[in-house]
Amino acid sequence: MSTPSSDLALLSAIEQFYYREARWLDDRQYQQWMALLAQDIRYTVPVRHTPMLDPKLRETESVLNVGQELNQGIEAPLRDDSYLTLMIRATRSFKLSAWADNPPARTRRFVSNVEVYEEGDGYRVYSNTLMSFSRHGHDNHLYPYQRQDRLQKTDNGFMIHERHVLLDWNVVTAPSVALLF
Amino acid sequence: MNLLHPQPAQLVSDDGCYISRRVFTSRHVYDWEKRYILGRSWLFLTHDSQIPNPGDFVTTYMGETPVIVARGSDGKVHVSINSCSHRGLPVCRADRGNAKRFICPYHNWSYTVEGQLHTVPQEKKVQQPVDKARLGLKAVPRVESYGGLIFGCLDAGVEPLESFLGDMRWYLDCMFDRYPKGIEVIGSPHKWLINANWKLPVENQLGDVGHGPYLHGSLLKDTPQVADLEAYGMNVVPKAGHGVSVRLMPKGASAEQCMWGTDGLASFDPEVKAYLLESHKAVESRLGEVRSRLRPLCFSIYPNFSFLWPNNTIRISHPRGPGQVEYWSWWVVEKDAPDHIKKKLQQNYTFFFGPGGVLEQEDSEAWSQQFIGSNIDYVDDAPLYYGLGMGEEVDHEEIPGRTGSCFNEHYARDFYKRWRQEIEDGLKGDGGAA
Ligand code: FES
Ligand SMILES: [Fe+2]
Repeated sequence: MSTPSSDLALLSAIEQFYYREARWLDDRQYQQWMALLAQDIRYTVPVRHTPMLDPKLRETESVLNVGQELNQGIEAPLRDDSYLTLMIRATRSFKLSAWADNPPARTRRFVSNVEVYEEGDGYRVYSNTLMSFSRHGHDNHLYPYQRQDRLQKTDNGFMIHERHVLLDWNVVTAPSVALLF
Repeated sequence: MNLLHPQPAQLVSDDGCYISRRVFTSRHVYDWEKRYILGRSWLFLTHDSQIPNPGDFVTTYMGETPVIVARGSDGKVHVSINSCSHRGLPVCRADRGNAKRFICPYHNWSYTVEGQLHTVPQEKKVQQPVDKARLGLKAVPRVESYGGLIFGCLDAGVEPLESFLGDMRWYLDCMFDRYPKGIEVIGSPHKWLINANWKLPVENQLGDVGHGPYLHGSLLKDTPQVADLEAYGMNVVPKAGHGVSVRLMPKGASAEQCMWGTDGLASFDPEVKAYLLESHKAVESRLGEVRSRLRPLCFSIYPNFSFLWPNNTIRISHPRGPGQVEYWSWWVVEKDAPDHIKKKLQQNYTFFFGPGGVLEQEDSEAWSQQFIGSNIDYVDDAPLYYGLGMGEEVDHEEIPGRTGSCFNEHYARDFYKRWRQEIEDGLKGDGGAA
């Protein structure tokens, strides 16, 4: 992997991009959020298995590699979205009959640990998010996750071309992972 | 009613039309369920395709009982309780894998995949030998399979699986015997915890297709799929406790109308449609003319195993007390389907179902809200109404079982009547009332 960017202006621009994105999602301004998505976006949420550690890798750091816990081959991730399906998810929630969002949950996203690597004509960006999620009276949950994004800069700011959302649960203990992470 | 100790007859009315809210919320009722329902029924464990080779294993639950399901060196399936004979720790800590031995972390006793105690490291450090033959993992006494679906039962005296399934087999074959090479269940399940009673997800897929255009109105209202359902849909009870929702297309309907419906997807993806049409060709010779016109939607097998046909998913409802369920959902696909079709069918599962599914997020929400509503003691005298379509179900000339419209709730009445009967029988067998 290349060295992380130390261009403070770039880092700050990307952090600001994430803060604004978080505010739009928390304020449920999904139309503005959708304008950040590239048409070719790939958006996944992998599963986290509890694997059996590979005896061939014992005594090496690779025995603990996170990759073995994620969906392999044609296994189904928890989410596998395209631009179209993200649009359906977002606009669906504007309908009164979208009962998982009526009444809507109250969310607050905190983005941190932003690391930027130059990749091709864009950036590979790692960051962590902690989202608080509150539904109905007191159905409160925390969602910690890592985002692995690929961003590209355009005349109108950054666009998201890839987002992989890494949750840490084996059994999901929050009400839904059908959210916009 | 004695609120703390309701009797089974107070929980389910004789005709099944009224179900006490306590059926879903009472700890006392849950203890009966564990003993008389989950402890005595055949429970789904895994599919053959998940453990093809000797040493392959998955871990799962039978109700709340953790088990290891493994393919032994003899090629047979062995199901063992996942708890060490020494101090009780789980000896297998992975979702799945391939193993020669399971090694308990605490003192490293090791067990074969068949469940025999193999090594006790401390044995040589004491004088008396350890009777290893008697100290294997406790075995689940009955394991049988149908169409590659492996079931276990904690009660050695249970009837054979085939008779337990009864005419449900005729419907199971529609999927599990549909293709020359069969189906495969891919990967470990999606798992999520819902603050709901375990019977709600089961009931939902036992026949409650009627909720589709309402709970899922944002996506399903006024769609051709719903029109199709109301025109051709039926709720079938092949045997009390099991249920299946189907659409039986009229004689002479085109292959396009009859093919295995991955409903939404096929209508806008020509490649998927071509695949479905092609794979439909073999169906009549394998399953007969009637079943070549049958498009199942969903089913449940008593007490906690379900299947959603149009989105390729099987699921199981693992209870965690009366108010919580660990729901597991797998993606299944025709083994021989081309890879790019498999990928599309996987997305058709992932988009709609599982904890991230646009539809299932609403089901999970409804099931947890049902628990809240069932936990209001002031309305204990107002049982829930399960009477829609009461008495309207009839025998059908082409398909086995009692059939009703897709809004007839006879599937649930029969489920809860059986549930009540099994608890009453259990209590009687244990020598007394509750
Ligand atoms: S508890 Fe398993 S070896 Fe001691
Ligand atoms: Fe549903």
